[in-house]
Amino acid sequence: MIGALPLSAIPPEDEALRPEIRAFLRDEVGHIPAERRARSWMGFDAAFSRKLAERGWLGLTFPKEYGGAGRGALARYVLVEELLAAGAPVSAHWIADRQSGPLIQRFGTEAQRRFFLPRICRAEAFFCIGMSEPNTGSDLASVTTRAAREEGGWRLNGEKVWTTNAQHSHYMIALVRTSGTPADRQKGLSQVVVDLHAPGVRISPIRDLAGDAHFSAVVFDDVLLPPDALIGEEGSGWMQVNAELAFERSGPERVLSSAVLLDEWSRWLREAGATEAAEALLGRLLAHLAVLRAMSIGVTGRLMAGESPVVEAALVKDLGTEFEQMIPAVVADILARPGLVASGPLMRSLAYTAAMAPSFSLRGGTREILRGMIARGMGLR
Amino acid sequence: MDSLLLRSAEELFSRHASSDAVRAIRAGGSPGALWRELQASGFLDALVPETAGGTGLGLAEALPVLMAAGRFAVPLPVGETMLARAVLAEAGQERPEGTILLGEPFDGGARVPASSAAEWVLLSRNAAPLLRRAEEAQRDDRMASPFGDLLRWPGDAGGDGGPEELHAAGAWAELAAMAGAMERILESTVRHAQERVQFGRPVAAFQAVQQQISVMTEDVFAARMAAQLASVPDGPGIAGLNPLRIAAAKLRVGEAAMRVSAIAHAVHGAMGITEEMDLHLLTGRLQAGRMRFGGEAHWGARLGRHFLRAGDAMDPLAFVRAHLGPMEPETTA
Repeated sequence: MIGALPLSAIPPEDEALRPEIRAFLRDEVGHIPAERRARSWMGFDAAFSRKLAERGWLGLTFPKEYGGAGRGALARYVLVEELLAAGAPVSAHWIADRQSGPLIQRFGTEAQRRFFLPRICRAEAFFCIGMSEPNTGSDLASVTTRAAREEGGWRLNGEKVWTTNAQHSHYMIALVRTSGTPADRQKGLSQVVVDLHAPGVRISPIRDLAGDAHFSAVVFDDVLLPPDALIGEEGSGWMQVNAELAFERSGPERVLSSAVLLDEWSRWLREAGATEAAEALLGRLLAHLAVLRAMSIGVTGRLMAGESPVVEAALVKDLGTEFEQMIPAVVADILARPGLVASGPLMRSLAYTAAMAPSFSLRGGTREILRGMIARGMGLR
Repeated sequence: MDSLLLRSAEELFSRHASSDAVRAIRAGGSPGALWRELQASGFLDALVPETAGGTGLGLAEALPVLMAAGRFAVPLPVGETMLARAVLAEAGQERPEGTILLGEPFDGGARVPASSAAEWVLLSRNAAPLLRRAEEAQRDDRMASPFGDLLRWPGDAGGDGGPEELHAAGAWAELAAMAGAMERILESTVRHAQERVQFGRPVAAFQAVQQQISVMTEDVFAARMAAQLASVPDGPGIAGLNPLRIAAAKLRVGEAAMRVSAIAHAVHGAMGITEEMDLHLLTGRLQAGRMRFGGEAHWGARLGRHFLRAGDAMDPLAFVRAHLGPMEPETTA
């Protein structure tokens, strides 16, 4: 059985960050049209990331000696939930701040920490993550991209795809095979950092249905990596990737992807008036939000206590993304009334969120994979 | 403290609220033995301040006891009696022995669970608690159903509607018992899936079944979290109950109850609706709980309306933080 989640609160010293963040967002983000803010953590704006960096809000959890603020995960929770609720364009630094930086901090060498972490904190190093490949999706252990050790470093060949922001990033941390064959599965996988400006790297953006290009395909054609490109232990890539995913799955971004739409709809209801059905629906969404937020904070609390609540994180992500997907579905239903025309920004936010919602439950592990993990946690497999 | 109390509640119920005992009470048998144990345990005065002779516990500390009663499908108003005794103590009224239900006011009478064993019904009149003997009431047979009886006291001696406070308190007791019942349903569904063999292997080995039970697990976790959120004592109600928190929790627990019941019965095959299985005692408890003190639509509208009409026009996240956040009980007490 899986352990219950405690009711854990955000400490006052972390809450104290909030007013300044909200004031900053009012000035910097308030004027951006709702349908752009609806892009949530897919909205890219390097200049905005630099402004956050000037405030000291990138690498909030990194140690001070590496340019961070030395704060805890719940301080970052406050920052991130406010950024997402406002629809701030956080995508440029998102992966570096959430995953790559913490990964380097935990598994990297001292030299890697000194090189990368301060650059991440200054918004000078944006990262992407190379996991999926043309024939590797949920079955991540089947990666075939290979880094072969040779005199003076590694030779990288293969292809990654669906890589968020590869075309805008400075570096990729890629999961690659460094020994054995795909039949060896989790064994022989390692993580390497790739300078995306190196010769032999070819990046082709992939356009999505909204006309944006968040993803890219990245081909490595005899790319030479220095010896210190390896992050952590050779052969420990699988373990390192999984440690990373517990953080990726339980954060506020698994609850708030449709927050801008929910906010726009409630603003519109305040102006135009609400039927009892609309009130009941809004109350339902608020109730779900409250419970999910408490669960997400509960998982963060356990992560901070040094535990590894991987199954609980999977549970929060599956429920959270269901909620994120429910918002455009039910808001569309209640707005589809003969004789009713809602505001343009609301309808454009709805159109964007509804179109992108299917991806919410795919990124970071599909529903079926997560439910398989929960079933294992319950002793069913 | 919390877990100590829970352990003794679980111990009490496993000794005196076995499924045979529960079935006997439901069939009209005397609940005397179980009730005497509950009275002796002190649980019933958990929310009564120490100065008035109670234990003076908080909502969060009482919650595990209510959930345990739900786990055992105890067919007695444990939570309601606990709340009623706190109300009576606060009003400086006497607290009689015996089971007390919170009545849902209707047309001068009160709706109570069908053929309940309760001796007393707590109503409200002129904004003060009004305790009435159940046996002095007349049952309105035209309005009776498995979901409840309508009781009327002769000579217009019932309540006058009364404050939302009692209604919200009743919802809290229901949702806590429901969250507990769902924990037990999950455990027995997992066990059944591991023991029941079809096509030469336990049904738990089938991916389709695993995925369903995972969904159920998620809802049980969400229901428990909702109950915890509803037990943060930062409201104006009894022992600090907050109607907004209760609105969110009753709604979320009610939604979970539907999905959990459906999956549990699906995994059990049709066996769950047979008399011999305990599952229907528990899912029946969920069904009844959903119907008492307001369902999802009622509480959703209550919450949505409050959010929209509040003068401060907060965004959804700010509202949730301000009114429905996971504050630790110690910091808000």
